Amino acid sequence: MIGMPASRTWNRIFVALAMAVIAYAVLAPLSSLDVLQSLGMPLLTDKLWFRLATITAMFVVMASAWNIIGGLTGYAAFGNVAFFGIGAYTVGMLITKARWPFLLALPLAPAAAAVFAVLIGLPLLRLRGHYFAVASLGVGVAVGELVQNVDFRGEPLFGGASGLFLPILAVPNRDLYFFYLMLAAAAVSIGVTWAVLRSRFGYGLIAIRENEEAAAVIGVNTTAYKVAAFALAAALTGLAGGVFAQWNVFIDQENSFPIGYNVEMILMALLGGTGTVFGPAAGAVVLQLLIQFLSGSLPITLQIPFVPDDAMPVLAQVVLGVLLTLVVVFAPRGVIDFFGGRSALSIAYLRRSLRETSI
Amino acid sequence: MKTRILTLLAVAGVVALACGSSSNQGATGSTIVLGAPLGLTGSLTKESALTKQGYDLWLDWINKQGGINVNGTKHPVTIKYYDDTSNANQSAVLMQKLITEDKANFLLGPYGSASTATDAAIAEQNQIPMVEANGAAQSIFNQGYKYTFGVLSPANKYLQGVLDMAATLNPKPTTIAMLSADDNFSLEVAQGIIDYAPTKGMQVVLYKKYKNGATALTAEVQAAKAANPDILLNSGHLAEAIAINKAAKEQKLNAKIFAYSVGPSTPDFITSLGKDADYVYDGSQWTPQVKYTADFYLSVADYVAAYKAKYPSEGAPDYHVAESTAACLALQRAIENAKSLDPKKVRDALAALDVTTFYGKIKFDSRGINVYKPMVVEQIQNGQHHTVFPADVADKQAMYPTPGWDQR
Repeated sequence: MIGMPASRTWNRIFVALAMAVIAYAVLAPLSSLDVLQSLGMPLLTDKLWFRLATITAMFVVMASAWNIIGGLTGYAAFGNVAFFGIGAYTVGMLITKARWPFLLALPLAPAAAAVFAVLIGLPLLRLRGHYFAVASLGVGVAVGELVQNVDFRGEPLFGGASGLFLPILAVPNRDLYFFYLMLAAAAVSIGVTWAVLRSRFGYGLIAIRENEEAAAVIGVNTTAYKVAAFALAAALTGLAGGVFAQWNVFIDQENSFPIGYNVEMILMALLGGTGTVFGPAAGAVVLQLLIQFLSGSLPITLQIPFVPDDAMPVLAQVVLGVLLTLVVVFAPRGVIDFFGGRSALSIAYLRRSLRETSI
Repeated sequence: MKTRILTLLAVAGVVALACGSSSNQGATGSTIVLGAPLGLTGSLTKESALTKQGYDLWLDWINKQGGINVNGTKHPVTIKYYDDTSNANQSAVLMQKLITEDKANFLLGPYGSASTATDAAIAEQNQIPMVEANGAAQSIFNQGYKYTFGVLSPANKYLQGVLDMAATLNPKPTTIAMLSADDNFSLEVAQGIIDYAPTKGMQVVLYKKYKNGATALTAEVQAAKAANPDILLNSGHLAEAIAINKAAKEQKLNAKIFAYSVGPSTPDFITSLGKDADYVYDGSQWTPQVKYTADFYLSVADYVAAYKAKYPSEGAPDYHVAESTAACLALQRAIENAKSLDPKKVRDALAALDVTTFYGKIKFDSRGINVYKPMVVEQIQNGQHHTVFPADVADKQAMYPTPGWDQR
């Protein structure tokens, strides 16, 4: 009882802080509009701000989407980057080969990714645990290789190793446009997670995660539920890929199927808290900003004594690795666990976590 | 940090000397900031380090002159580097940081085709000129971008020099077998030959693609032997070139010319093949033996000497270093010609540039790529690299035809 008011106060402070950050992120870009600039509004965002914010929003989508299959359903999908790439290439192909306008092509990115997820989900989701993780990783790599190497009548079908160049989209306030588009995708991802968690479908997924046999016995159509969750995650990830393609202008196997994204989106969900609505999003924002900070992309940089500048990126990787290990070992339910009023950060909590995560 | 302070001190010292000794040379202007994201860690570390050496070599020299002369005012230069961890998406973020935060006046290219393509789109949207030295894929230059310039000869020219040379030889070889890796760069090299051979009265009798990085190439070499070509070409990489040469010996494929796009210019090729490396040709952007008469900067010999003095453990500079220095030279001369630091004026000056440097001619076509510099042809003779074509820059004659494997 003594701890409750304190944790409730912290909870309120945290929510207020999060709201302020979100409000700033949503409203600050408006200061770049010509109308407000001419009224003497100070410029709160520059092109670097937009690039970083758009990438961060992109990871919010991917981490939230992974949470639906990995966090809610309990299937550790390690190949979600395949859906990102499929989304990117759907938009890329429709624009460069079929000359579709971007906004017409974009809805087909999540559709294509979802259809692909259903096709591979039917066989793949029969596997469990490590087997599913490894198989999904294989799919992630294979799709990237296929996109690069499939030929049609001697010509690379998807642009091959040269990749695809999309025309630079002619819209006013291009940076603002893509940021809001990616932000909208992030809002959709969080909204979908929220809706799923409050639906019969969501309860079914959690039942599968906790005990798949028991779920089947009480009448959950496990195959249909799992495939639907996988397709939903794929659709959202594909949407992010579709926006990325037009925003980044150039796509190829290297930037549309980066193996590292598979790991990053999972770490973000873990860091924030899997199975929750806002956890993966918060994890994505924190981890992405940390990655960018450590690699020197943020306007604020760090000078550590005795560490030369050119060793910083290497140090950053080490710090990141150590940090993530600590989180996974000591806070397996994610950092968001401390803010939901469920647990307080204490030595006892850390010791209990260590016991839980040890075999 | 320490090196940065030392560099700053050195720059300050040089600037102070320049101002003190000859005040009639003009005042010191604002510092020109150039920027480049490079893969200082990650998979492209080696090539990125060579690129940085090329940039730094020029940086030392220009600051010893007091900086770039803009309308009589000398502007010292700094180059801001970031580590993109060999990741194209990170390269884009850092490019934007260079433009927005560091207020880079002009951009130098990253290493690698994917990064260069992504960064070209960023340069275009920010209207800041980028001069790059390490992305030979033509697709980058077919987008109608106005702010990206490449100093290297495009990929399709890589082996065309070998055909130019072959056309001058007696007896003239007429049939070609081409074995190509399936990566973007290698395919463009191969396509360049297929398009070019008929114009030299030659015929491609075999064209076979293999998986990039494959070293079991016996079947491909067998097919080439069956076609009995005068010229065996490979557009690929070091390990593949070595595998093809070994298989050609085993199967006694006796062509008059063996030419491989990339591998033979590296010392590893000679160490792993020994005597069998002799007579092999390759196409190179630049060699330390070329004889160009430089309009400005250093002569070829002085360039090689300056490189060896700054990087004593590295031997002679390879073409990655030279082309990177050449990118800086193009930018320097364009700024001087524009008489301004305005990005649009410098862009126009780059488009109009026409100079000869230690690296050869630098002049851009309407797409922004340097199609005017020929590729040089190297041949390994008695375990040494020699430049054999074009004749006016060569230091040796080609040893032709290549004797059969049992007559060596």
